[in-house]
Amino acid sequence: MGRFSTRAIVLGLAAPLGALVFSALICAFILMVTDHSPIETVDAMSAAAQRPRTLVNSLNTATTYYLAAVAVAVGFKMKLFNIGVDGQYRLAAMLSATLAGAAFMDSLPSFLRITMTILAAMLVGAAWSGLAALLKVTRGVSEVISTIMLNAIATYLVSYLLNPARLAQNVPGSNNISTRPITEGGRVDGLVVTGSTSKIFALVFLAVAVGFLYWFVLTRTRFGFELKTTGLSESAAVASGVSVKKMVVYSMLISGAVAGLVGMPQLLGASYSYALDFPAGIGFTGIAVALLGRNHPVGMAVAALLWGFLDNTANSLDVAGVPREIVLIMQGVIVLSVVVAYELIRRYRVRAEQHEVGRALGRTKTLEEVSS
Amino acid sequence: MRRMRGIRLAAGLLALGLGLAACGSETTPGTGGDTTSGTAPKASNVKVGLAYDIGGRGDQSFNDSAARGLDKAKAELGIEVKELEAAAGETDAQKEDRLIQLAEGGYNTILAIGFAYEGAVAKVAPTFPEVKFAIIDSEAPEAANVANLVFAEHEGSFLVGAAAALKSTTGKVGFIGGVNVPLIQKFEAGFTAGVKAVKPDATVDAKYLTQPPDFTGFNDPAKGETAANGMFDAGVDVVYAAAGGSGNGAFKAAKAKGKLGIGVDSDQYNLPSLADVKDVIITSMVKQVDVAVFDFVKSVNDNTFKSGKKVYDLKAGGIDYSTSGGKVDDIKAKLDEYKQKIISGEIKVPATK
Amino acid sequence: MATQDTGEPGGHPAVELTGITKRFPGVIANSDVNIAVRPGTVHALVGENGAGKSTLMKILYGMQRPDEGTIFVAGKPIVFTSPADAIKAGIGMVHQHFMLADNLTVLENVVLGGEPRSGLGLDFDTARRRIREISDNYGLNIDPDDLVDDLGVGARQRVEILKVLYRGARTLILDEPTAVLVPQEVDELFGNLRELKAEGLTILFISHKLDEVLAVADEITVMRRGTTVASVLPKDVTARQLAELMVGSALPVPELRESTVTDRPVLEARGLTVTSADGRKLLDNVSFTIHAGEVLGIAGVEGNGQAELVETLMGIRQPASGTVHLAGKDITRTSTKHRRESGMGYIPEDRHRQGVLLEATLWENRILGHQTRKPNARGLLLDRRGARADTQRIVEEYDVRTPSIDVNASALSGGNQQKLIVGREMSSKPDVLIASHPTRGVDVGAQAAIWDHVRRARAEQLAVLLISADLDELIGMSDTLAVILRGAIVGHYDPATVTPQELGSAMTGAGREG
Repeated sequence: MGRFSTRAIVLGLAAPLGALVFSALICAFILMVTDHSPIETVDAMSAAAQRPRTLVNSLNTATTYYLAAVAVAVGFKMKLFNIGVDGQYRLAAMLSATLAGAAFMDSLPSFLRITMTILAAMLVGAAWSGLAALLKVTRGVSEVISTIMLNAIATYLVSYLLNPARLAQNVPGSNNISTRPITEGGRVDGLVVTGSTSKIFALVFLAVAVGFLYWFVLTRTRFGFELKTTGLSESAAVASGVSVKKMVVYSMLISGAVAGLVGMPQLLGASYSYALDFPAGIGFTGIAVALLGRNHPVGMAVAALLWGFLDNTANSLDVAGVPREIVLIMQGVIVLSVVVAYELIRRYRVRAEQHEVGRALGRTKTLEEVSS
Repeated sequence: MRRMRGIRLAAGLLALGLGLAACGSETTPGTGGDTTSGTAPKASNVKVGLAYDIGGRGDQSFNDSAARGLDKAKAELGIEVKELEAAAGETDAQKEDRLIQLAEGGYNTILAIGFAYEGAVAKVAPTFPEVKFAIIDSEAPEAANVANLVFAEHEGSFLVGAAAALKSTTGKVGFIGGVNVPLIQKFEAGFTAGVKAVKPDATVDAKYLTQPPDFTGFNDPAKGETAANGMFDAGVDVVYAAAGGSGNGAFKAAKAKGKLGIGVDSDQYNLPSLADVKDVIITSMVKQVDVAVFDFVKSVNDNTFKSGKKVYDLKAGGIDYSTSGGKVDDIKAKLDEYKQKIISGEIKVPATK
Repeated sequence: MATQDTGEPGGHPAVELTGITKRFPGVIANSDVNIAVRPGTVHALVGENGAGKSTLMKILYGMQRPDEGTIFVAGKPIVFTSPADAIKAGIGMVHQHFMLADNLTVLENVVLGGEPRSGLGLDFDTARRRIREISDNYGLNIDPDDLVDDLGVGARQRVEILKVLYRGARTLILDEPTAVLVPQEVDELFGNLRELKAEGLTILFISHKLDEVLAVADEITVMRRGTTVASVLPKDVTARQLAELMVGSALPVPELRESTVTDRPVLEARGLTVTSADGRKLLDNVSFTIHAGEVLGIAGVEGNGQAELVETLMGIRQPASGTVHLAGKDITRTSTKHRRESGMGYIPEDRHRQGVLLEATLWENRILGHQTRKPNARGLLLDRRGARADTQRIVEEYDVRTPSIDVNASALSGGNQQKLIVGREMSSKPDVLIASHPTRGVDVGAQAAIWDHVRRARAEQLAVLLISADLDELIGMSDTLAVILRGAIVGHYDPATVTPQELGSAMTGAGREG
């Protein structure tokens, strides 16, 4: 990399940081216009940043966001838009929760139970995204359309199955319904942090492992190379002997399998059952996080942590009298400005690199050089 | 305070700068909470914190009803209140955090609106034994400092079901549920029973606007309108909209087609936001969340707090049907007769389908 | 050769560019370009691909603005901010790629965008009259009511010229106008240009084909590496001298020394037929055999089935009927990957679409198409170190001008990208090389190097299918020549005896009748 690397790092950071500062300014402006103090807001956020519970919750939220972002990024890397991560993880969480809570599981060793649950979730996620892949390669249906549709179908399927007559049971004395709760041995105990009643999801390590695998597969394997190639230029991929259809199927299946993991930290680390109030919409957050992190394993981790932190400061803002919606505004502005900033930086980078090459090769000669 | 803020700001930025990786690092527990509780107590030492369900104040329905009770408590008892809202798709941990922030902020009377809080209340209440909690619509969290305020929605729904059957000329009535969850299914069960009690051969056309986890069905008038129009076209002439803000659309459709509607939760005939469609609202199934909220706050204020389940049913007056507008005056006697039979136990209204 | 004063004493040049400098990343920029074009002449601008001719023309046509320097039209300095300004100043451009709508008539195409108005309606009658007038005046032989779809390439080009004249141009820029023409059409075009010149119009003719330039130009300006290096008169120079001016060094010649053709068939196509979605035959019963050590050249006007042939051979496209055999094995139904692994190298026609990943580094581009093989892969894993080392070797052996193998391919000029592609494909020691326009857009030095590599590999029994628009290259490099027309092989020629004119006739179908 040599001389390019320092600048590459600076440029890499310029876009997200610039976007952050820009969105902070926008938010400050909105706060002032609506008669709230930006200082109070920063103050409340800083206060939140020092509460261990907020930080633990942020990390936990970030864990699920990160998994969703990786799931999305696998598709993004080959210009495949898996909008269906949301449906995939909800269906996967619901069905694997049913399996994990089933009575016969109680007698099995803990490790086996957890592994089975996670594998089941991955299978369900992959199967659901596989439908979209199948439609794309056999009928040419755009995966954007089909995954959106499959999200809706997953919603109906889950509410059909999440019924006392089928896979669920009424929570005694409550208006909630849930799958049979996972008993002790099937759970993944969290890490205790002083000053916080929430524990850190142990499956945060699963997310780290997924991130590492994502990086390894993309940069170190033939498969990853073919995936990236397809994303950069489908025609070049075809000419190079890459079967684009196969790549569509594989990457959709992988994306869906990772999507299946999204619900696992919450399910195995906190909820222990899939109920009506199981968090929804993480798949869409994943898209934003993947965008913000530029599909980069570390970038997405930082983006997920930022997102998780912003989400978890909302309560503190509310207490301080700042409308919690400012968090949503901030997140939205960040995504928009990051997309714009990245494009600007990308153009600048291409030009800079071409200049560099031009300078190094002395392509443009001076008059004296030419006439001598 | 100024100085404090500066230090905190710097520390916060530092934490952000470190990429938040330092989650487990040493921060003395409780500092954040303590600093915000610096205000002096008022005359009444009751400070009420209220955590809304998704939608919050202004949802024209459930949350608003709770808000009315809170407003009343604030006005009549002169207490300090704090309201916090929920976000869509949040986890239990975030709900817990909300309750904890209230408790740590010195709010010693905390209301959790909606069963979604049952996990959070169950976890948070034991760690703050001196704080009094109330949860609406859930019996699940049991603790010495938790009051479970539940409603017999099926009983009220039975009465408006009877009213629908009495008013219907076609023998077809409709039920629009906001979201297909057990709570709303309870409304449907009672409503259907009420209809059948009057006219055993009448049919009930039931439709839910959305499926969980999509809770927009409680706040999407367009969906309500579409569903109601479909029913009216199929011969239905009275629709019970147990769909929060979506009911608005159903009433609009009823007005356009010259049909009738039945409201829910509040006495919707008297809601200013529904003024232009109020003449189609013959009655409303009134679920007095405001009464429950006020009662609870008052009980804490009066030192008469009682933990455990408190059922707001027809008998207790927590559930009723409304008569505003005079559209059911002709059948009022009949409805009151059913009401008495339910109160006396002669009629057992089913709570499930 | 000294730069001579081309300014007309007394009168102003029709167009004059002085000190034009354009800093433009990556590709050649213009640096202190000086040209004076006298009115009523054909002025040729020559230079290799990438010498900066196109940039200069874009500046002159208002598509780009120079960083420094001035444009004078008829002696007055003018700043163009858009092509519309250039048109207003009487400068028109005939692009290399025609911009005509096939399903409209000549008349409609000409008035498109500049509709003649009389009152509210379109005044087609006046327009028709004017087109006839222009056509007659300059001997363009165009009927305004012909459908463009029915016109041949030469006629289409004349429509483009007419379009520009119709808009009132007095100075015409022709960008590589002969690239798409066969020799006979080239002669016709030159006749037209002489007519235009006789009528007092000025023509700026851009080309890198020196024989043509010498035949038609009154004055010639040579560009090299972004700047003008000489202005000469055709009578003073030979084609070879001109070429050496362009390159700045002695010239390579495409030729094969002795035959290395063996009798071992390597690649055989039998009765290949490819149909389009609407049932048209894109390839019609194409058969040939290429032996080890043989170069088969395919001559043809672009768009006559060459692309389909190549894609069918590479397994990117499936034939409706017919077979492809590689070293005696039927590979008709096998995947592109299998074919590549079995020893087929591929230099695609469109390098940006098929040859490189612009947004990937050079070493990643080394892996492209060879991702399953050494030195790029070990089992399922990539061998990054191996790939990088081999990329470094290619960069050196094939003279790819780059500061590092870590820059993106987009930072390199087209010629250097092509050198990387050729190096990559030759590095896998293929048995067959499918080469579409292997030297298109590369400088003369690289061209010679690529030819050398092909020759050396041919001596080591490589079989080559060579497709090129450069007839000299085809004739010089091929052991056998076939002409393709409308998807069918219409003739075989011996490169030792055939002339470009004969080939040209065969390519347009004239050979069969005549």
